[in-house]
Amino acid sequence: MNSDKRIKNGITFVFLLFWSTVFLFPIYLVILNSFKSKFNIVGSPFKFPDKDTFVGIENYVNGIRMSDLIPSFLRTLIITVGSVLVIVFFTSMAAWFIVRVKSKFTKTIYYLFLFSMIVPFQMVMFTMVYICTKLGLNSVLGIIPVYLGFGSGMSVFLFAGFIRGLPLEIEEAAMIDGCGPIRTFFTVVFPMLKPTAITVAILNAMWIWNDFLLPYLLLGTQNKTLSVAIQIATQGAYGSIDWGGFMAMLVLAIIPIVIFYLFCQKYIIKGVIDGAVKG
Amino acid sequence: MSTIKLQNIKKTYEDGTTVIENLNLDIKDKEFIILVGPSGCGKSTTLRMIAGLEEITDGDLYIGDRRVNDVTPKDRDIAMVFQSYALYPHMTVYKNMAFGLRNRKVPKDEIDRKVKEAAKMLDIERYLNRKPRALSGGQRQRVALGRAMVREPSVFLLDEPLSNLDAKLRTEMRGRISMLHRKLQTTFVYVTHDQTEAMTMADRIVVLKDGKVMQFDTPTELYNHPQNMFVAGFIGSPQMNFLNVKIEVIKNKYAAVSDSFKIWLPERMYDSLSLYRNKEVILGIRPDDLHAESFYIDRTSSDKIKIHIDIAEMTGSDYFLYGTAGTQKITAKVPSTHTVSDDTDCDITVDIDKIHIFDKISEKLICD
Repeated sequence: MNSDKRIKNGITFVFLLFWSTVFLFPIYLVILNSFKSKFNIVGSPFKFPDKDTFVGIENYVNGIRMSDLIPSFLRTLIITVGSVLVIVFFTSMAAWFIVRVKSKFTKTIYYLFLFSMIVPFQMVMFTMVYICTKLGLNSVLGIIPVYLGFGSGMSVFLFAGFIRGLPLEIEEAAMIDGCGPIRTFFTVVFPMLKPTAITVAILNAMWIWNDFLLPYLLLGTQNKTLSVAIQIATQGAYGSIDWGGFMAMLVLAIIPIVIFYLFCQKYIIKGVIDGAVKG
Repeated sequence: MSTIKLQNIKKTYEDGTTVIENLNLDIKDKEFIILVGPSGCGKSTTLRMIAGLEEITDGDLYIGDRRVNDVTPKDRDIAMVFQSYALYPHMTVYKNMAFGLRNRKVPKDEIDRKVKEAAKMLDIERYLNRKPRALSGGQRQRVALGRAMVREPSVFLLDEPLSNLDAKLRTEMRGRISMLHRKLQTTFVYVTHDQTEAMTMADRIVVLKDGKVMQFDTPTELYNHPQNMFVAGFIGSPQMNFLNVKIEVIKNKYAAVSDSFKIWLPERMYDSLSLYRNKEVILGIRPDDLHAESFYIDRTSSDKIKIHIDIAEMTGSDYFLYGTAGTQKITAKVPSTHTVSDDTDCDITVDIDKIHIFDKISEKLICD
């Protein structure tokens, strides 16, 4: 390696290290403070816990107790898993139809999907909540089709991009091998979409898991999800908020999605490599 | 019975482009037919129409006695091998081959027997548990053939199956496919742009140009008796020489005359050429039928052409001589035992039994 390249690599490394620190620092603070007693958090938030301030898993126990964390967690899990499954299932099929059946109709539908990505949530928020409440979609299962609507724009866009790169001949071979359109999709096309399906699943899972506004408006505080539960925990008079428990709740809330991401990451890399190598 | 009949087939795309106009073909049972022609001539479209992957705008298509215009691909009793192999990337070789049979609810043990039999025949038994991406191009091609074979279809369609392989493998696969045809005893329709493939494998060849059949005949007939200049130029490598000549009658003998040579024509051509007296025609002669050896040169003095050799290309057993006769380009193939060099003059003799005369305007054969 020549010196020019070494300097270049060094600068890149420092730059990336700086930005990684900027992004990771808040998470570090949350984890650090989740092990400190609540009185030491506000006073010295950056201090590492010592034998006087370390409280073990006490904050976690309090956090779970504080605001029905387990039911909220289960609700969020049902909503996220259900929505992601529904999104992957329907948008992959829609994208396949849009790409393979070329007509003005499918083109219009595709642009409508893209348009839905541009429209800000706040613009449709009130009318949507009104309609959804009328339709009885203000329940844990009812919110899933609403997420399908909000998640389908980006998902159709991603799937359609990938399907365009798939050779049509494979689907034609399936047709000659005796498959109708439905069997072709499920036995031949969908397995090939695996890398994109995982990407779509991760991206949607992350925002649905962390979403606050939609469940807050539709489900309220009765059927609260994790993010709503956490928000409620921050309410209260100064001094009455258990910051330790709050930090622990935050850590607990991000753990599942981080695990999901780390688990799926290897599939994304595998998918990218599969696509890159000829054949 | 798996005859294929194309009657007045027409294909027009949505944008109004007509790629095939009034195509008529009669393919016999168990015949190996090759559709050949330059890019965009409609050969792949024709094959895809037979497969049912492309709609037929007009005309009738029969497989056996059944009109199949509106029959779906899966019900046409055909199998197809694609240029890109089109193997299912997520399935093992075994599953790829068994897929069509499983869809048709064939019993498991029968599927197993058929797949293993085909794998043995194609020498891919070792790879049955591998995914396609772990195979080389030649192996993938054999899997694609195997997938088609196990179905035991009445018609085999092959769309440029060897074009992604290197030259050596292509020669090997050519032999395999010919052998497969002999073993399976079914109708094969094969598309290629490579005339060597067509000449070596086909029972009959369809030469297509701009969606029209230029000639449909056996390889020997196409080579020896091309019906027009397109076929004459397309089949054979290096391609046939086309020389501008004028038909003159000198002392009751017909001769093809140009600015630099005169060739006495054989008597068998006199009748056909009677309408072309003093008219310009095209004389076609293959490079193989031009001889530079002294044996030929000494035999006759009248059919000699003096050429100036621009480049002499050594290919091992032969020399390809690229040169000019007067103002006209000419290529000759002579044995490498002959001594030739660039930028020299050389006498060559025309084998008058092998010449073809074409109409200059219609480009159709007048006589040969």
